[in-house]
Amino acid sequence: MNVAWWCSSTPGQIWTWRYTPFLGVWVVSAALIGGYLFAHRRAGRAVDPKLLRRWVFGVLALFIVSEWPIGQLGVGYFATIGIARYVVYTFIAAPLLLAGLPDWLVLRWFPEGTRRRQALGAATSWPIALLVFNAVLFGTHLPITIDTLKVTQLGSFGVDVLHLGAALIWWWPAMQKVPADNHIEEPLRAFYLFASSVLMFVPAAFLTFSPLPLYGLYELAPPLWLGFDPTSDQQAAGVVMNVGGGLVLWGIIGVLFLRWASQREAEDTQARRTRDAATLARIRALEAVEGDDDAPEATAQRAVRERP
Amino acid sequence: MSTARETTTRSTTLVWLLLAGLLAVACGPASATAIAAQGLEPGPDGWRGIPLERERSMPQATLEDVDGNAVALGDAFAGTPTLLFFGYTSCPDICPVHLAAIASAMDTAGVSYDDIDVVFVSVDPDRDTPERIGEYVANFSSRMIGLHGDLEVVEDALAQLDLPGPVVEGPDPRGEGDLIGHPAQVIGFDADGEALRTWPFGARRSDWIADLPRITEEWS
Repeated sequence: MNVAWWCSSTPGQIWTWRYTPFLGVWVVSAALIGGYLFAHRRAGRAVDPKLLRRWVFGVLALFIVSEWPIGQLGVGYFATIGIARYVVYTFIAAPLLLAGLPDWLVLRWFPEGTRRRQALGAATSWPIALLVFNAVLFGTHLPITIDTLKVTQLGSFGVDVLHLGAALIWWWPAMQKVPADNHIEEPLRAFYLFASSVLMFVPAAFLTFSPLPLYGLYELAPPLWLGFDPTSDQQAAGVVMNVGGGLVLWGIIGVLFLRWASQREAEDTQARRTRDAATLARIRALEAVEGDDDAPEATAQRAVRERP
Repeated sequence: MSTARETTTRSTTLVWLLLAGLLAVACGPASATAIAAQGLEPGPDGWRGIPLERERSMPQATLEDVDGNAVALGDAFAGTPTLLFFGYTSCPDICPVHLAAIASAMDTAGVSYDDIDVVFVSVDPDRDTPERIGEYVANFSSRMIGLHGDLEVVEDALAQLDLPGPVVEGPDPRGEGDLIGHPAQVIGFDADGEALRTWPFGARRSDWIADLPRITEEWS
C-alpha cells in the first residue's frame, strides 16, 4: 500500500482507486482531538459535550476533505474538488472548531498581558483579519502558487494550514470569541462578512470566465475519463466558490441581520413599554394628588376616560 | 543517572527529529515522474515549441486510416503543416492530455483543421483496432486523423525520426492491460514535410494558442 504524508499533485500520475492513506491527516486529526481532551484534563475541567461535538465535527470536516480520495482528487485532478476543499476548510471546519473552543481554554492559552495575547488581539482585530483572509485567499489561488506548492506534499500541507489559519483568524471577530476587545456587532459585522463575500467573487470570476485553464496541474493531470475538459472543470470550480463562499456568506449575513433587527425591535418595544409604564405611573401619581384636592372632579374625569 | 530535565530534552529532540524526517519525506514530489506544471517557456523567437537541432523529414511509411485506406505519410500530408503524434488509445496520461490540449487550442485560436493536419499514429496494433482509433480521436475532434499499421512499419517511422520504438512498461495500475512507453512529444512538420519543432509533454493550451497561428502563417 502506498503511504504519503499529505495529498499533493503529481502531473502524470495515473489515478487509481487504490487507497493511499495520508499519514499527516491522521496525525493532525488525532492531535486536534487528543490535544482538546488533554487540555481539559490538564486544566481539571469537564468536557462540555456540546462543545466537544462541534470540535469533533470540525476535525471530521478537515479529515474528510484532506484524506484519500477527496484530498487527492482535489489537489491533483479536479479544480472543482480543490475549491470545494477550500470552502469546507473555510466555511465549515473553521467555524465549527471555533464554536467548539471553550472561552476558558482560549484565555488559558492566551493569558492576559502576554505577548501571545497581544498577537491574538492584533491578528483578530477585524481590519487585520479581513486583510489576512483575503491576502491568503488571493495569494493561494494564484496559478504560480498552486502549480508550485501543490506539487510537493509539504507545499500542499502548507497551503492547507494557511487556509485553515486564515479562516480561523477571519471568523474570530465575527463569532465574537474571547477576548472581547475585538468583538464586532451589527451592522459592522454584516459589512465585514459582505466585504469578504464581494472580494471572493474576484477569484471566482477569474475561474468562471477564463477561456483557458489557469492551473497547469489540473490541465496536465491524467483525465479520469476521456472527454474530460479542464476548462469546464475550472468554470464549475468558480461556481462552487461563488455558491459555497459568496451565497453561503450572504445567507449568514441575512440571518445575522434579521436576528439583529428583531433584537433591536424587541429592545425598542421594551424601551417603549418602560417609557409608557413610567408615564402611566406619573399620571396615576398626579391623579392621586389631584384626588386628594378635588376628589369628585377627578372621579368624574376618570369616568369619562373609562367610558366605552 | 539522567535527570527529569535531560529526559524531557531527549524526548523533545526525538519529536523534532521525527518531525524533520516526516517533513523531509513531505518535501519531495509525490513520485519521480513529477514534471513542472507551468507549461513551456517561450524561446527567444517567441515560439513555445522546441526547435529541432537535426534535420528530419516526414517518415516514408505507409499506414492505414480508420476506413482502411492506405496513407503514405510523405504524400498524404504534403502541402499542409502537420502535427504528428505517436500514442495509443489505452494511454492514461500523455496521449489524452496532448490531444485534448491541441483540440481545445485549435478551437480557441480559431485555427481550422484545413490549415493544419493533426495526426495520431497508434503504437499499439494489438489493442487499437480501426474502430477503436476512430472513436478515440473523435473524443477530441472529428477532424483529427487516426492511423495505424503493423508494429514494424510504425517502429520504422519512429526510427526515421530518431525516436525510440514503443516498449511495454508493465501492467496499467487501472487494470487495463499493459502500459506502453512511447515518445511523448508532438512533432511539427511544415508544408514541405520538414520537421521543425517538437512540443514535449507539459505543453499547455496557452502554449498551443501561441504557436498554432504561427504554424499556419509561417509553415504553409
